[in-house]
Amino acid sequence: MDRETVPLAQRRSFLFIIVGAVGVVLGALTAWPIWKFLAPGKTAGKLEKISVARGEVGVGKAHFFNFHGRPAVVLQLKPGDFSAFSAVCTHLGCIVKWVVEKQEFLCPCHAGRYSAEGAVLSGPPPKPLESLPVAVEGDQVLIG
Amino acid sequence: MPLRKKIMDFIDARLGMRDILEQNLTKYLLPKNVNAWYTLGAVLLTLFTIQFVTGILLLIHYVPDTKEAFQSVQQVTNEVPFGWLIRDLHAVGSNLTVATLLLHMLSVMFMGSYKRPRELTWISGFLLFNLALGLCLTGYLLPWSQLSFWATTVATDAAGAVPVVGDALVRFMRGGAMVGEETLGRFFALHVMVLPLVLGMLIGFHLFCVRRVGISKPPFGDDYQPPVIHETFHHEEHPGGIPFFPNYAIKDLAVICGFLGLLVVMVFFFPNLFIPPTAFEPADPFTTPEHIKPEWYFLWAYQALKVFPSEVIGLAVQGAFMTFLALLPFIDRGEERRPARRPIFVACYVLGILVFVAISIWGHYS
Repeated sequence: MDRETVPLAQRRSFLFIIVGAVGVVLGALTAWPIWKFLAPGKTAGKLEKISVARGEVGVGKAHFFNFHGRPAVVLQLKPGDFSAFSAVCTHLGCIVKWVVEKQEFLCPCHAGRYSAEGAVLSGPPPKPLESLPVAVEGDQVLIG
Repeated sequence: MPLRKKIMDFIDARLGMRDILEQNLTKYLLPKNVNAWYTLGAVLLTLFTIQFVTGILLLIHYVPDTKEAFQSVQQVTNEVPFGWLIRDLHAVGSNLTVATLLLHMLSVMFMGSYKRPRELTWISGFLLFNLALGLCLTGYLLPWSQLSFWATTVATDAAGAVPVVGDALVRFMRGGAMVGEETLGRFFALHVMVLPLVLGMLIGFHLFCVRRVGISKPPFGDDYQPPVIHETFHHEEHPGGIPFFPNYAIKDLAVICGFLGLLVVMVFFFPNLFIPPTAFEPADPFTTPEHIKPEWYFLWAYQALKVFPSEVIGLAVQGAFMTFLALLPFIDRGEERRPARRPIFVACYVLGILVFVAISIWGHYS
C-alpha cells in the first residue's frame, strides 16, 4: 500500500496500537518480578508438627504458642487429655483468652465465648474455633 | 463525547492543563541541531527512578542491625522471588548512574553549557553529582559485608587528615571511635531518607533552571552564532526549532532504552563486575581483608591521598579541585562556547579526563 494512500488518522491509530501493545508487554515484564517480590511466600504443602513440652501445659490450664505464624493454644483439661485450637476468634480475628475459673475461652474484643472444646457459647462468633490435631509422644505434645 | 475527552475537559476547565501541556510539550521548541548528549538528563531521571523504586522494595526486607543486616541482604538475594534482580538493579544501577552523571557533566563542560546565564543549573547539577556519590558511600555500608565495613572504615578515616577537627570529624561520621552499630544507623538514615529527600528537591530545582532559562544551543555547525548575553532575565527561545514532543521525546526514549538495555545486560551477565568477593563475607571488625579498594569512582581520590606526601595535602588538592569544578562558570567567563575556539579549555579537559582515568587505574592496581 502506498504511504500517501493511507489516511493520517489510520496511521496514527496503528502507531498508538503498536506503542500501546509494546508498553503493555514491557509494563507486564516490569510488574511481574515486583509482584512476585511483594507476594507473601507460599507455605509448604504439609506443615511440620509443632512440639510443646508437656510440663508447659498444666492441668486445667492453657499454653499459647506460634503455630506456623498464627497464634494457637493447647489445653490439658484432665491429666493426659490434650486438645489444641487456633487462638484466632472466628468473629473479627482477635486473639482469645483462656479463663481458668470458667474453663472457657473469651474473646476480649466483642465478648465472644467458646467452650473448652472450641464450640461457640455466646456472642458474635459465627463458628467454632479451628481445632488442631494433637498427639502425645513421651514428654512432648505434638500439634499439627 | 468519549470519556477521555470529558475528563480532559473537566481538568482543563479548572487548571488549564491543555495550555501547560502545549507550552511544555508540543510548543516547547528545542534547537534544530540538538544532539543525543542532551538526552542524558532524561536518562538520569529514569535511572534515579529505578534506584528509588528498587530501594523501596529492598527496604521491605532489609534489617538495619549489625547482627542481621548481612543475613537480610543474603535472604533478599537468594530466597525472595526476584530479590536478586531487585538488588542487582539497585547495586549495578548505582554504578551506571554515577557513570551517566559523569558523562552528563562532561558533555555540558565540552559544549560550554555551564556558562552564563546557566551558572545555577551547573551548580545544582554539581551538587546533585556529589549527593549521588554520598548516596553511594552510605549505601555501600548497608549490606554489612567485609567490603562494606572496611571500605567505610577507610573512607571515614580519610577525614581524620583534616587539621584540628579531623579526629572529631571521624568520630562524628562514625558515631563512635570505630565503624559499628551507630555508623550503620546514621548511614541508613542518610541513605534512605535524608539524601533522597534533598536529591529529589535539588532535581526539581535543576529542572526548573533548565526549563526557565531555556535549552542551550549546541555550539556546532557553520550557522552557530553565540547567544547575546542579557543583563536581565531572558528565556532563550529557539524559533523554528523541533518540538520537544513527539520529536525529541522519541530520541529521549530511544537513548533511555539503550541505557536500560545496558543495565539489564550488566545485571544478567556481569552482576559481579562491581562487586568483589569480600562483598560476600559478613563484616568482621577483627580481620581486615587484603587489598581493600573503594568503588571505581572513588579510586582517583583514594590514590590521590596516597600519592601526596601527607594526607592533608592530598585532601586539600581534592578539595581545591572540587571547588574549582563547582565554581567553573565563574572562573571560565568567556562567552565563546565552540570547542574549536577554546583550545586551552579543551586541552585541559582532555588532560583532566586522562589523569582521572590513569590515576584510577593506578589506584586499582596499586
